[in-house]
Amino acid sequence: MRELTESEMKTLFDKVANYTGRSLTNLIAPPSPDSAPSERFVFRLHESRVYYLKLALANLAVSVARENLLSLGTCLGKFTKTGKFRLHITALDIIAPHARYKIWIKPNGEMPFLYGGNIVKAHIGRWSEDCPEHQAVVVYSMDDTPLGFGVTARSTAESRRLDPTGITCFRQADIGEYLREEDTLFTT
Amino acid sequence: MAPLNSSRKKPSGGKGSSSSAKHKISKRPGIVPPLQPKTKSNPGLVKKKKRRVYTEKELGIPKLNTIKPVGVDIPKGKKRGKVFVDDQEGMMTILSIVNADKEGQIESKLMKSRHMEEVREARQKEAEARQEQKKSKLDETKDSLRRKGRRKLDLDLNGAVVKHQDENKESKTRRKRVSFA
Repeated sequence: MRELTESEMKTLFDKVANYTGRSLTNLIAPPSPDSAPSERFVFRLHESRVYYLKLALANLAVSVARENLLSLGTCLGKFTKTGKFRLHITALDIIAPHARYKIWIKPNGEMPFLYGGNIVKAHIGRWSEDCPEHQAVVVYSMDDTPLGFGVTARSTAESRRLDPTGITCFRQADIGEYLREEDTLFTT
Repeated sequence: MAPLNSSRKKPSGGKGSSSSAKHKISKRPGIVPPLQPKTKSNPGLVKKKKRRVYTEKELGIPKLNTIKPVGVDIPKGKKRGKVFVDDQEGMMTILSIVNADKEGQIESKLMKSRHMEEVREARQKEAEARQEQKKSKLDETKDSLRRKGRRKLDLDLNGAVVKHQDENKESKTRRKRVSFA
């Protein structure tokens, strides 16, 4: 387990900033101005996976041998061998509160999405205005429960003219992966 | 170093037995030792003692005829290995750079999509106008054809009536002409 290097940090923020707006700074800011320095959140790299956790917990984890340490904090995703960063569904809880563009899907569209399907226009309840094409979005159910990540297939203006079966959002990750990828999600 | 050795040798070798007597005299209190003024009088010798000899490593002179691979040469005064970012300021600066970059990208995307939308709307309007023009032209030709058709029909009807009358007349005349041989 170690801290991230400058280039790794930039790659990570590059990916996360696709989904979030300026409020991403809240992720690394201390919880309150008068809080202890160990209370702030940090990123740690362990076996190519990036974890988001409190500094106090990271300091405790130092005492665990590398081969004995399985996981710590919340896993955001992992670095591929080519140096790119792949976001995991486990990062949804951290990213969802800071999402910039959102898509809400109707109850009849929840199951198709959670089984790994793309979102068709007929299943969309509402969406953020002025969303460009190929923009990363966070997908919510109509009762504001975050369901996953996606990428818009068309801009909002274009998708208005689309027929009901046309794909408006490509799936990137969904919470159905907790079951579908159960065997591989937490293993290295 | 060579002149130093020669100067030391001179008093011991050249003067022989008298040198031992001189040494005895110098040890006596109140008399200045003869060696001290000798060293002071030779300024070159003092300078050479003070001069510091620098090694090649200290000067940082590259060795001749050696090639160092790019990764192997480590710059002086820099941390070896990876540079980690764990302090909040460092993370904030990287984040602000990334955020500004993303904002610019999204802004340009939006501008592009708006521009494309405008172009698309203009094209649609143009197509609609062309379609209307075609339709009106077709309607006009249809109307004109209808008018022409009516006139012809009227004429034809008159002609037909006339023809019928002629036929009747002809038939009447023909009947009269029938004769049995």
